[in-house]
Amino acid sequence: MNAAQSSSTIRPHTGPLAWLAAVLVAMAVLAMPGRAFAHAALVATDPADGTVLTQSPAQFSLTFSEPVSPLVLTLVRPDGSQLALTSFRLKDQTVEIDNPETLKSGTHVLSWRVVSVDGHPVAGSALFSIGAPSAAPVAGEAVDWTLRAAIWAARLLLYAGLFLGVGGAFALAWLAEDRRCGQRFVAAALLLGLVGAPLSLGLQGLDGLGAPLARFAAPTVWKTALETSYVWTVLIGLIALGLALLSLAGPSGLRKLSASAALLGVGGALAASGHASAAEPQWLTRPLVFLHGAAIAFWAGSLAPLGLALRREPAEAKVFLRRFSRAILPVVIALAASGTVLAIIQVEQPAALINTSYGRLLLLKLALLLFLFTLAAVNRWTLTAPAEAGDTEVQRRLVRSIGIEVAIVLAIFGVAAGWRFTPPPRALAIAAARPVSIHIHTLKAMADLSITPGHAGEVAASMVIMTGDFGPLDAKEVTLVLSKPDSGIEPIKRPATKPGDGTWRVDNLLIPIPGRWNARLDILVSDFDLVKVEAPIEIRGE
Amino acid sequence: MMKYLLAAGMLCALGTNAALAHITLETQEATVGSTYKAVLRVPHGCEGKATTAVRVQIPEGVIAVKPMPKPGWTLQTKKGKYEKSYQLYGETLTTGVKEVDWSGGNLPDEFYDEFVFRASLAADLPAGQMLYFPVVQECGDATDRWIEIPAAGQDEDAVETPAPGIKLLPKK
Repeated sequence: MNAAQSSSTIRPHTGPLAWLAAVLVAMAVLAMPGRAFAHAALVATDPADGTVLTQSPAQFSLTFSEPVSPLVLTLVRPDGSQLALTSFRLKDQTVEIDNPETLKSGTHVLSWRVVSVDGHPVAGSALFSIGAPSAAPVAGEAVDWTLRAAIWAARLLLYAGLFLGVGGAFALAWLAEDRRCGQRFVAAALLLGLVGAPLSLGLQGLDGLGAPLARFAAPTVWKTALETSYVWTVLIGLIALGLALLSLAGPSGLRKLSASAALLGVGGALAASGHASAAEPQWLTRPLVFLHGAAIAFWAGSLAPLGLALRREPAEAKVFLRRFSRAILPVVIALAASGTVLAIIQVEQPAALINTSYGRLLLLKLALLLFLFTLAAVNRWTLTAPAEAGDTEVQRRLVRSIGIEVAIVLAIFGVAAGWRFTPPPRALAIAAARPVSIHIHTLKAMADLSITPGHAGEVAASMVIMTGDFGPLDAKEVTLVLSKPDSGIEPIKRPATKPGDGTWRVDNLLIPIPGRWNARLDILVSDFDLVKVEAPIEIRGE
Repeated sequence: MMKYLLAAGMLCALGTNAALAHITLETQEATVGSTYKAVLRVPHGCEGKATTAVRVQIPEGVIAVKPMPKPGWTLQTKKGKYEKSYQLYGETLTTGVKEVDWSGGNLPDEFYDEFVFRASLAADLPAGQMLYFPVVQECGDATDRWIEIPAAGQDEDAVETPAPGIKLLPKK
């Protein structure tokens, strides 16, 4: 990533911001080695998975292989309703959780999400029943709407800062004769961006951990955020915002230079993270996102200063209008071309436009864009010439039209910020093929089992076997047994083969239905010594 | 009445069959500090194949093992160190038989046979608990392993291929 370079080249202009950048980079670097630590593994739960209890327990406990910090603890009742468990104590490696109510009979799910010392979130669940087992409740994936709204709003603030603020500063520096009009608007947008950037970074950390908004200030949240690629977006974005402020308020000799650097920073910030930048081929997508972002900033940023200048000082605004209308055509072409190519890469198939939420947001954005382009075209080809000639009535119409354009641009930012929650069809296809993995740890042996793809159908299983204390375990035979007692399907038993890379494999395995399966590994350690380890594994629907 | 008897009889027969599916020991109780004659009962081959070898692991505390030779089978023992020393008739034993193998035989699936050894059960074995003798049954290239030992508190019927075991009785 070139952010470190750019932060050092701009240091003379930015002062505190560069220091902030340096501190953030240093923190990111310090956080890196954390990845090498082993993640926490669940050692035991009380009640144990699958237990049938005669009466409601007073408390639950989860014991891990290392100390953890709970993020979300939930109890799912037999009817599927959820109860947040908020009262808990940490005792070494054990989390003791108070049960706030007397549980009715039936099967409950104790669902937990904790973060280990290395900042890696680990989640899982244990099933237990009171009285007699019932059908396992289905816990719908709870969406934290408050957190989502906060992420969306922070993202919108950042977009406003980058596009309206930095773009506005660029327009004021390069296009406007008299840069007083719209300066306050641009400065306000930049400040919104400066607020939005760190907020959205912290929220990214919360989202990564699946933690609630209340834990915004927790160090692990920020540590997690610093390990995501989004930190580069925020970092470069902050630098761009700082440069734009410098262009507004700094010495006039630096105005154009810092405004240009800030505009490039907008492109760089967007290209540093996000769905579109993550798509393959990277050599194409990253430059396209860069171009797209810089073009948006140029266009959207110019609108407000231009409109304000036309309204207040129509005579002086003519030069501004002429320069803008000369530059805008190639910019819009670049914007549309880069946007089209990125959309094709992300959506892959036309059908996905309708049947995925990403596609539907794209259609909405396209509709808004169509409207915006129509307005812009009318402005460019019918209103600009008379307005430049000094027709005050047309100038007023142009100001109104520009006002509407700004509103549409904001709506488009809102839609684009919504993409944060909708993986693109390209990524959905990748996610469907993603394996599902579990780690089983017992005193005698431990195993990593991963099933690829992690959904029902034809799959392959790969296993790594070790002794309970992480030593090598040269097993004679390994057998994989998959069972789903609640479905009436006979256990699927397959001997594993040894391809010679230290793993054990079962190929051409057919998992008939999705759901919670029980995976058991029968490990023949020596002729007379068999170790069985088992754990539930969640198989997705196709 | 006859019908009920028949049903009960069938149940019994089925029940016994289930038990017979495993390799078991004829005498399922023994007193610690006594001599035990182990008779391993092999009710069938491995999934229809003829049994060609029977190997039994001797658990700690079972000493002075002497297997009975069997016509048509090669008898071998593997000796090793005990985890501690045992006193037997005034002698101190530190090593002894750890595994007994009868191999090279041919016991078709439809026939039944027994494999016998005699041993002393150390006096300090924990009375009241089970003592297991894991057995590997080989049938040419197929293998059945009767080596599973139920975990503490686990029901013996819950394991698929249980090791034959005996209940240790206290010294009279």
